[in-house]
Amino acid sequence: MTLLADAPLNDPLAPGLLVTLVLGAAGIGILLPRPKRGPVLAGLLCGVAALVMAGFTVVTPDGPVTPEVVLFYAFAGFAIVGGAMMLIQRSPARAAISFTLVITSTCGLFLLQAAPFLMAATIIIYAGAIIVTFLFVLMMSQQTGYSDADDRTREPFLAAFAGFILLGALLLVLHRAYPSTDRLAELVDDANRAKSRTSTADMFREIGDPKEYLAEVRTEALRHHSSPAYEGMLSAAENLEGALAGPNVNAEDVRRPLGELADAGNAVLAERQRKPLPAGNVAALGTTLFSDYLLAVELGGVLLLVATIGAIAITHRRTEARA
Amino acid sequence: MIPLSNYLAVGAALFVLGMIGFLTRRNLIIMFLCAEMMLQGVAINLVAFARQHGNLQGQVFTLFLITVAACEAGLALALVLMLYRGKRSLDVSLWQDLREPGVEANVDLEPFPEAAPEEPLPRLTPAGVEPAQPREDSYV
Repeated sequence: MTLLADAPLNDPLAPGLLVTLVLGAAGIGILLPRPKRGPVLAGLLCGVAALVMAGFTVVTPDGPVTPEVVLFYAFAGFAIVGGAMMLIQRSPARAAISFTLVITSTCGLFLLQAAPFLMAATIIIYAGAIIVTFLFVLMMSQQTGYSDADDRTREPFLAAFAGFILLGALLLVLHRAYPSTDRLAELVDDANRAKSRTSTADMFREIGDPKEYLAEVRTEALRHHSSPAYEGMLSAAENLEGALAGPNVNAEDVRRPLGELADAGNAVLAERQRKPLPAGNVAALGTTLFSDYLLAVELGGVLLLVATIGAIAITHRRTEARA
Repeated sequence: MIPLSNYLAVGAALFVLGMIGFLTRRNLIIMFLCAEMMLQGVAINLVAFARQHGNLQGQVFTLFLITVAACEAGLALALVLMLYRGKRSLDVSLWQDLREPGVEANVDLEPFPEAAPEEPLPRLTPAGVEPAQPREDSYV
């Protein structure tokens, strides 16, 4: 799966992404609570359409449908739906329950990213303690009937518009920073096979037309400009062009730049690869916390103590001095 | 295999939703829940980066994020309680005079619709046969 896979790099904004953002902003803007509720069905349709379009255009599926893909879609979908539901709820108790849905979906995503301890810690602390505290405070500060706090929102459409412009900017930046590596892998494969051949004719059969190959290598190197090894690719492409431009093209002269190209391409691909996490997440986390981050752990403890004292000090009712 | 950028996109979406909610809603508690949702978006980003780079720094950072969020929740709810005791309402617009001096006041123009009159609780007529009381026949 790739992010915005069919948007070319010099396109300002892919049309699918634009439609998704506009529908999302319209849905949120319509559904935010007002004294007289607007067209709820239209807002819901906009929101669902935005989600479906996001599933097809923003996060484009390709490759086999593994359980990881299904779980990612499920957790990500529930997280975003829960977040949107929290925004549009009139009653703050229901908003707290929607936030619990967001927390559990986020914990599912943590589990997909090999962080089981964080999943358990987040569920216990967030869903178990913070939201329960919220519900207690809500219970003590209940409001019945129409109220200013619940039924009015400040500038719903303007806020949704601004927020979704920010989301579009973030998604565009992510698209540029993490381009798909499929084409680069194919080019590196061609270079690897070509450099093991003996004659230039065989080499050219592997890489195809040299000019087109060089142009594609340059394009891919510029797409991956965020990794430092791309300059190695560009210089190898220069050397290859120089070797091919001579009057008599020698196999040795072509093989060396092809080797450099394959090495630089492999370096760029290796940067994109996932590095393995230590197995035994809890043990490794404990070792890291109490050796590398010991000072931060102690400061965290002091912070919790100070927050407890502060919370009690703030809400303490001042009693009159005894006469 | 799901690339890193997809998780970052989900984190960005949660962050933006939280931002919209924080700017828009007027209930103090919902504003604070939206701030917490922004923190969750950041947490997804951090854990995804930890997975990508193969070290646990992102997860350690997330653990401290949870700690700070818990402290912040405790203190914020204490403050919300104090503010509620001041004005008997959770509306943040009631504290507008704490704003910067040049900003114009927020006035609510749209009136609320007529609330439906509250129905009184129903009183049911007693129904059924009165149960037979045990008769005292003899005092032997």
